[in-house]
Amino acid sequence: MKEAEFMFPGARIPYGTWGSSYFPAWQMSALAEVNIGQFAGEAMGRILAKRNVPKNRLDYLVIGSTVPWHWKFWNAPLVSSCLGRRLPGFHVECACATGLQATLAAAAEVEARAAEVVGVLTFDRTSDSPVGVFPERRAYQRTVPLADVWDNFGFDPATSGAMIATAGRAARKYKADRREVDELACYRNQQYFEARASGILDKVLVPLDLLSVQGRPLGRIDDDLGVGRLSLSEVRAMRELDTCITGGTQTHASDGMATLLVTSREKAKEISTRPEIDIRFVAKCELRTDPGMMPEAPALAVQKLLERCGLTMKDVAVVKNHNPFAVNDVIFGKILNYDWRQMNKTGCSLVWGHPQGPTLTRTMIEAFEEAVSLGGGYVLVFGCAAGDIGTSALFRVS
Amino acid sequence: MTKAMREPGLRTLGLGSVLDVFSRGRLPIKSEELIDRIFGKDAARRSLVISGANGMVGAGKAMQFGSRLLPFGVRVVALDFPGAPDGIGQQYPGLVGTFGRKTADQVMANIIRLTYDGAHLPAELRELNPAFLLEAIPEILEVKRSHYQIFRDAFPKIEIRSVTSGFPSSELGVGIAHPAFPHQINKVWEIVEPEPSAITHLLWALGLIPIPVGDHWSFVLDVLFCGLLHAGVSYHETSNMPYWKIDKWVRRILGPNPFRAHDVIGAKGANFLTWSCLHHLGQAYGELFTPTCELVAHKDAGTDWYPPNHFRPVVDWKLDSEEEEDLRCRILGPLFQMTSLMLQEGRATLPHMNAVGELCAQFRSGILAVARDMGPDAVRRQVLAYHARHPAAARSAWYPAVFDGMDHPEWQQLYVNAEHDGTVGVITLGRESYNSDVDAELNRAIDWLKKESIERVIVTGDFHLSTQMIGADTTEFYAALERAEEGLRVSRTWSQTARRLATEFEVSVGFVNGKRCLGGFLELLLHCRYLIAVESADLGMPEVTLPVVPGMEGCHWPFRKAPAQHWPKLLHLLLGGASLKARETIGWLVDATAPLDEAIPLVWAVASGGAHSLTERKVIARPLEGLPSEVSGLPAPDNPAAEAARRAIMENIRGSCGVTLAEALDRQAKQSADFMLSEPCRKGRIGSEYSKTMLI
Repeated sequence: MKEAEFMFPGARIPYGTWGSSYFPAWQMSALAEVNIGQFAGEAMGRILAKRNVPKNRLDYLVIGSTVPWHWKFWNAPLVSSCLGRRLPGFHVECACATGLQATLAAAAEVEARAAEVVGVLTFDRTSDSPVGVFPERRAYQRTVPLADVWDNFGFDPATSGAMIATAGRAARKYKADRREVDELACYRNQQYFEARASGILDKVLVPLDLLSVQGRPLGRIDDDLGVGRLSLSEVRAMRELDTCITGGTQTHASDGMATLLVTSREKAKEISTRPEIDIRFVAKCELRTDPGMMPEAPALAVQKLLERCGLTMKDVAVVKNHNPFAVNDVIFGKILNYDWRQMNKTGCSLVWGHPQGPTLTRTMIEAFEEAVSLGGGYVLVFGCAAGDIGTSALFRVS
Repeated sequence: MTKAMREPGLRTLGLGSVLDVFSRGRLPIKSEELIDRIFGKDAARRSLVISGANGMVGAGKAMQFGSRLLPFGVRVVALDFPGAPDGIGQQYPGLVGTFGRKTADQVMANIIRLTYDGAHLPAELRELNPAFLLEAIPEILEVKRSHYQIFRDAFPKIEIRSVTSGFPSSELGVGIAHPAFPHQINKVWEIVEPEPSAITHLLWALGLIPIPVGDHWSFVLDVLFCGLLHAGVSYHETSNMPYWKIDKWVRRILGPNPFRAHDVIGAKGANFLTWSCLHHLGQAYGELFTPTCELVAHKDAGTDWYPPNHFRPVVDWKLDSEEEEDLRCRILGPLFQMTSLMLQEGRATLPHMNAVGELCAQFRSGILAVARDMGPDAVRRQVLAYHARHPAAARSAWYPAVFDGMDHPEWQQLYVNAEHDGTVGVITLGRESYNSDVDAELNRAIDWLKKESIERVIVTGDFHLSTQMIGADTTEFYAALERAEEGLRVSRTWSQTARRLATEFEVSVGFVNGKRCLGGFLELLLHCRYLIAVESADLGMPEVTLPVVPGMEGCHWPFRKAPAQHWPKLLHLLLGGASLKARETIGWLVDATAPLDEAIPLVWAVASGGAHSLTERKVIARPLEGLPSEVSGLPAPDNPAAEAARRAIMENIRGSCGVTLAEALDRQAKQSADFMLSEPCRKGRIGSEYSKTMLI
């Protein structure tokens, strides 16, 4: 295996100090009823407690979310108050790449020695997303109401197309076979349930109990609600919405949060539950592909990343991505000449849903746990994001 | 010669023993004499000055003293800076609520408000000729000292007491009278002075509860109050658990809500006071007390511990057993260690130390009762486990040997004492509500008197800590809401104890010496062969309002002693839940009533075999017949739970009266226990408290 240089040589992700809520599908859980920023802050405190990390160890907070929430103006400082610690910090927003970008931003803070232990906290509630009313002089009404999640998914102003249309268009470009796409979706579903059964996700997912405003139990978030077992015959029978795109081969909206820490090498040894494990930042790459071709963007970003690092897919131990459409992975396999069965072994967002902000954070955490279970190696995390963006990053776990 | 199980509480005030009160036929001191001695007589009556009177302590104490000194014509001077926000005026609605508008107006009219600049006393003060200064100004040592000097320069013989919660008397140069929150109504004052003074005696005579404590940093109350917050904050810093949830756990384990208490008192001031106490304790005793960074931050910012209303928490914190054990260790460990320090230094008698936690810091059971319940080895293990988590605390202020003497009477009789003179014994009850600790201690007191061959006994309050007897401690019923056998155990055990008062002494006299005697305590005292009460005392059986069914033989014992024509009154008492003045119950509930100064010699006469006109009402052992089936004049129950409770109480009355005395105990215990499992009880006040406190 070749050795790469590190883009943030001073930054580490301390093993085992992370966690994620389950991602219940939108409107299916008590998460649909809470202020998600407040929930995320409080949940982070609980997760850190489970990991034996006193919140006072943190000195900075990077938050990431994409759906506006009540009091969003107050940003990371407010969320940090909900965590129980008055930290400075800022907010990162980059559609579905938010989790990765927030983690990289945190690493930059550590590398610059601007902060020593940075919390990364990503969250989103797609349920009952707010509706903004925007001044719009080109409309005869002079104002346009916009439901944040669904109106945005349905219309990319830069291309005038819907998100789903990019999947169909990319499927046609790469001559994706509906049978392969259906098979991949079922395989991913099976991978998720096998991972649940193996217990590896118990190291990632933390059940959380919610309270009503009266302080009474509102519900327990202890399952990726809405995720059921898929059979090939079921998926094959589904109506095609666009080329190779059915209800079974695309993700669903969900709610949740995920958090991890970024810190210096020394601090990582202090606060990690297994200080012998070293998780480092190798490189990142983003690109924007042709209009309306979002599903190919991640593969192109990975291709470029590996070239830059002088590595091939054979050098990578864990491959994990955010794949809102099954065609993403089919296209990835074609471009990288890679067997898609070898990736996303613990599950992926195609299966467990898509709350945007925390999606890639959970993906990363699952990837790190998988790498540790394999004894280390390069970890490739990537995904697509609104605007035909592909994002990718490489880590090394040793 | 008087012999006692342990030192009587009154003796710590220089007021003798409870047996002395009865044998001499009078209280040891009278408020009129003390007022004359401290404030001068009649036209020469001098005044009381409260400085810092608009603050929370000053304003509260202005009301407490104002209402008590009004009948004696002692003016209260409320002194503060000109710009101080009006704290006195805010008290008026509460005063009206308690005393009515007329008396409230009189109390307020008796308070003279004066301002000063901190350096010069107002000229009008000379005319008011203060005899006693109660200083309630901010906790800054130099400011306090110069404040005393100003007063001493102007009034050389003035008595001064500081309400300080932290500074020792030796630092201040004046005596301490440290009151407990809420200041308008809490009667407890921690007193530091070389010998009990006339001021302390006056507090007692006015119905307040002075408790002598040692001259150390932070006395007893604030070691517990501040220490518990400190333990909570320290736990928060290691666990991230939010303060509101720690409060819930602490309430479940011990009773108090340390964080809510600070917010209610006023976080800005309370945080500073707690920090100040812990800071000085830390300097004197080390890491066990050193304020943590979170407390310092809250002190500096003056912020509340609870989130604002619009940020009511959304994530709950359930603990697994390991996490719960860690929490218990980090809360109880430091608290036990602090207690070891207080015991080592002899900061107060054990019953007093224990009572301070209950009366002033919301402890369900005082810290010594908690330790006693766990046993010395478990207490020490808890502290050592805490030291394993916080090694710095182990370096100082840890005295494990103080827990060795738990089998001594001082430890064993925290709530109940017994005294005798060779012929007559007195059992004194020093807790306002009856619980299993009181029950066990009462049994030990009875055993001790029997061993001392005492056959004549008075059972009464302790004339100090217990100013009323409000019935059973309902937290004792929590387990009974889940398990019938637990309800049966409590009812049966307590009833058996009560019967000992009826059967094991030739003469037993219950004496209600305080403001009220309700529920379980009334059931207990009804078992005495004679029951005498201060005529103004309220007597009642409020169980129906909770609702529970009386389980200490209240449903049959009084019927067996009362003439049949009075049975409807007993039914009214039990089914209505309203209290009656003791004087209205003569002949069917009590045997005699009188004003306190006349009641005391009467009690002694009956107990000692002296001349009296009372006849013992015998308990009828056979099944009773002719109980009324209807009760007229009872207001309709205002909710289904009350209706169910009435029905259950009536069934218990019929059932337990309809069998022999020997059978009745178990019969009434079973019916009482069964009702605890019923929906009306589980959804009633006790059930709600149980859910709120224990099911977190």
